[in-house]
Order: sequence, then C-alpha cells, then structure tokens
Amino acid sequence: MESLTNLVYGFQIALDPMNIFYVFIGVFAGTVIGMLPGLGPISALALMIPMAFTMDPASGLILMAGVYYGAIFGGSTSSILLNAPGVAGTVATSFDGYPMAKKGLAGKALALAAYASFIGGTISVLGLMLIAPLLSQVAISFGPAEYFALMVLGLTAVVSLSDKSLIKGMIAAIFGMMVSIMGIDLQTGTERYTFNHIELLDGIDFIVVALGLFALAEVFYMLLRGGSKTQKRNIVGSLKLSRQEVKEIAMPITRSSILGFFTGVLPGAGATIGSFLGYSMEKRLARDGDTFGQGNIKGVAAPEAANNAACGGSFVPLLTLGVPGSGTTAILLGALLVMGVTPGPMMLEQRPDVFWGVIASMYIGNIFLLVLNLPLIPYFARLLDVPRPLLLSMILIFCMVGVYGMSFSVFNLFLLLGFGLIGLAMRLYGFPAAPMILALILGALMEESMRRALQISGGDWWVFIQKPISMWLLIIAFLSLFMPLFKFVYRRIRGF
Amino acid sequence: MKSMNANKIISVIIALISIAYIWMAYQIPQFPIPRPVDSDLFPKVLGFSLLILSILLFFDKTGISDAPAETVEGDRLPWYRRPTMKVVVTSVAIAAYALLLVPVGFVLASLSLCFGLALYYGYRNHLVNFVSSFGVVIVLYLIMTRVMEVYLPKGIIPY
Repeated sequence: MESLTNLVYGFQIALDPMNIFYVFIGVFAGTVIGMLPGLGPISALALMIPMAFTMDPASGLILMAGVYYGAIFGGSTSSILLNAPGVAGTVATSFDGYPMAKKGLAGKALALAAYASFIGGTISVLGLMLIAPLLSQVAISFGPAEYFALMVLGLTAVVSLSDKSLIKGMIAAIFGMMVSIMGIDLQTGTERYTFNHIELLDGIDFIVVALGLFALAEVFYMLLRGGSKTQKRNIVGSLKLSRQEVKEIAMPITRSSILGFFTGVLPGAGATIGSFLGYSMEKRLARDGDTFGQGNIKGVAAPEAANNAACGGSFVPLLTLGVPGSGTTAILLGALLVMGVTPGPMMLEQRPDVFWGVIASMYIGNIFLLVLNLPLIPYFARLLDVPRPLLLSMILIFCMVGVYGMSFSVFNLFLLLGFGLIGLAMRLYGFPAAPMILALILGALMEESMRRALQISGGDWWVFIQKPISMWLLIIAFLSLFMPLFKFVYRRIRGF
Repeated sequence: MKSMNANKIISVIIALISIAYIWMAYQIPQFPIPRPVDSDLFPKVLGFSLLILSILLFFDKTGISDAPAETVEGDRLPWYRRPTMKVVVTSVAIAAYALLLVPVGFVLASLSLCFGLALYYGYRNHLVNFVSSFGVVIVLYLIMTRVMEVYLPKGIIPY
C-alpha cells in the first residue's frame, strides 16, 4: 500500500510537463543513438550527460533513464535490419531478427521487438518498485566495511563476466582505480599523481574518460576498420502481427522478462547476459526449437523482453545500494554524483522525488517507446542510411561539446583525445572498457569506505572479515574472480 | 622481438608503468598526525597489484591478440587515406581544435572540424556536408548557450 502511495507521488513528478518532455527526448535520443552500429547505451548516456548536468536531479535521471532503455531498444533495429547490433545486449536479437528481415519480415521483427521491449520494461519496473524499498531497508544497516565489500563484489563480478581475458579485465579495473584517486586526497589534503598540474588537482572528470573510452574510441575504431561505406539495409515492410503469433510469444515474453529482471539485478550481469539467457531458455523450451536461428519469432521476442527487463533490474542495486552493477549504470551513478545526488539506502528518505519520479517515469517511458517506435520504425530505419563520414564527424563534435561544455577546459579536450587513443588500444588488444569505467566511479568510494572502516576499527584489518555481511560479500567476490582459475586448474589436474 | 606476441609487449609496458607508479606512491608525503591508513596505502596496493598482473599477462596464453593490420582494401588506397592515417589525422585535428577553440570560437572551429573531417573521410557531396555540419553546430551552440546557459567561446564572431 505504501508503495502505491509513493508511486502516486512519483507520477506527480513524472507527469510534470517538462519531465514528460525529458522522457520523450531521452527515449527518442536513446533510440536514435542506440540504433547506430557501434554506439551503445554507454556512449548514448555519456553523450547526454552535459544536457542532464544543468537540470534538477529528478529530471536529469528521468532523461538519462529514458536514454538507457531507448538505446537498448534502438540497438535491436540495426540488429534486425543490418545484422550489425548497435549494443551487445541486442546481439541475440540478430540471431532470428536478421533471418526474418532477409525473408521480407523485417517490419514484423521490429514490431515484435517493440512489443517485447514494452512488456519486458513494464514488468521490470514493477519488480523494481517492489524489490528496491525492501533492499533499501536491508542496506540501511550497512557500514563502511560492508560497502567496501559490496563495491569489491560489484567490480569483481564485472571483471569475471567480461567476455575477454580475466587478467586484462583486472588490469583495466586497476587502471580505472588509478585514475579515480588522482588529485587532492580529501581526507588528508595530500596531492596524488597531479604531476604539478593545476588542472589535475580535482582529479579527472569521469565524463572525459567515459566519452574518450567509449564514444571517441568507437569513432577511431570505425575509422581503423575502414567501415566508411553505409551498409545496405533490408526493407521494413508490414508491422502487423497475427493473433496466433501474439499467442505464441505471450509466454516467452513473460518468462524472459522475469529472467531478464533478475539477471539485471545481479552485479556484472545485465542486458547482454540476460538476452542470451532468455534466448537459450526459449530455444530449449520451444517445440520448434530447431528453427531458432532461421527466423523464429520467439527468438526475437525472448531476448528483447529480457534485455529491456535487465535494464530495469540494473536500477535496483544502483538506487538502493548506490553501487552500480555494470559500466552503463556506473555512468548513471557518475551523472547523479555530478548532479549532487548520492544514491544509496538513504535516497528513499532523502530524495524520494528522484527515486519515485524515475520509477514512475519508466512507465511513461515504456509507453513512449511503444507509441513512438511502432509508427516511426520505417522513418527511424532511414537513419541507418546516413553516410558514415558525416556521422563520425558529428559524433566527434558531440564529444567536444560534452567535455568543454562541462569543464570549460581546453586541457580536458587533450585528455579526451588521450583517453580516446587509450580506448582504441584497449579495443584492439582485448582489454574490456566496462571494468575501467566502473572502477573509475568506484575507486575513490572504495578507498574512502576502506579508510573509514579502518578508522572505526582502529586500524584492525579483520574488520572486513568479522562482520558477517562483509565477509560473505568478500567470499563471493573472491569466488567470482577465481572460479574460472579453479576450473582451469581442476580440468588440468583431471586431464593429466 | 619477433617471438614476442602483443600480450608480452603490452605486459612489459604495463610493468614499467606500475614500477613508475609505485615509485611515485613512495613519494607521497606522510600526514603529520598518525592515521590507520595514510594517502599512500591505496596507491601502493594498486601499483603492486598492477605489477603482479603484468607478470601474469606476460605468461598468459589466453586471449592473445594482435592489432589488425591494414586491410587489403586499405593497402590499395593512397597513404593519406589509409585507416591508420585516418586515426592520426583525426587526432591531429582534435588537438588543433582544442588549441583554436578559444581564439577562433566554437562555431567556426566546430564547423571546420565537422566539415573538414567528413570531407577527408571521403564524403563528396559538399552542399549536404556543409548544410548538415552547419545545422548541427548551430543547433548545439544555441541549445548550449541559450537553453542550458552554458558559455561557449564566441571567438572572432561577435555574437
């Protein structure tokens, strides 16, 4: 009952005409940016931060949340029409979406994606509304030791689940933490790694790193790959679904939405893993599982429902614990910190406008996503025909404005270039960027929690093990990181 | 060097960075009042962790990667149009943009960067290029300065 009262309050905020406008802009911009091959939700969010920066926190997060789920949906359009997923979370959609498009059923696949995203998104908002307040009550008892352990777990989960080498993931995370602690140490006033540069006294703005590692590095990568020609896309065609088809996809969408939501709640998982799990679950359950990969409608509906539901689920740890579980939510946390809001268990009490306003705006955003996308799909699809040279040069301008508009610093433009080149090198040599951005956000917070915990315990390091929650979180973190190593050693021993 | 794969070369570079980082961590001054954890502990932990990871990377045989060489299509292009050269030229253009932004102004500098790079990347419809570059730059300028009230340098254009 209390949740309903709070939700009504949230709707009062979300239904403010300006906030409705921001949801619309967010969903629209997210869909457009997410549709462009290579640019996913992280780039979309990073590009929109300068805009959100000047708003009040509730409106800013409403805009950013719209960008996030808009980008997830937008990615499915390029997956279906070009077989070039704009986002990793929509790779599974291309398995059956692209074969459908080749059969002349692109419109049907896109409509399926829109319906599945809508239902997945709505179910996840319900889950978020029910679970988040409960988790907040548990998290209210967390002290610095528990927070430190929680952040360690968030980081190790992202590292261990990154599809590339574990060692490279850990190196990327360490680099992120190294960047995050640059500047004046707020506890002692000591300068660390500033190289006597006045611009580095406040550390490096995370927007510089985010735009460099994701948007600018992506431009460089596209240039290096030589993909300057626009790919030929399939024609959209009819968007209508028959009654039989609606019946067929109803259960797969519901199942995948629930699975996707819980995958999103887990640190390190998220839309990509959620969509693959949804796809493989339906493939196993379906009677016509052998036709998956050849244009089965359930093969489009399941991953689309799961990835949008995971997107909503990922807000649970972000809003209740203040600890992001993925690179994308790390950007959202960074944006909130820039706007002066610290998410966490106290947010429900201190900033209910942000918390419930965002949840209510997600309902509206999901409706926008459906209303906007169904009739406009054929027009959106034309964006994929924009010549690549024009697109790349415009992304560059957005990066420059984003960095300069927030910091008014020419030095930061050079830093942006540096991080763009680092991001390119990371892509070329298989270093995942998500752990680095997550560590960049969490590094300074982790150090602060660790030092506060040690100050309370009088320097006793056992404080992290003596508290049961902290101990279990650290054990899970340790296992998540070293499980692949244990498995490898076990297989080698059995093999010999 | 021929026997060294990319992982090994990168691991040596990272090891050198970590050694420099650890050295700098030892230069961080101590806080006058004794504390359980001073400013230098976390950097030292990070530096040594990175050093250990760089050693592990040297011996890691999984995920060995080498940067893609120029494509066959790229090899046929004149040197200034090759993919690697495009990255170099774009980097130089960004650096030039950073230097000229304040004296020349946002609109002119951004228009030159947007139009110039699209032209260099091979877009030959000059009218569309100019109109779209100009449109994007002006819309961004107006949104930033008039709606969001963010200052952007005017430079040589007085308004």
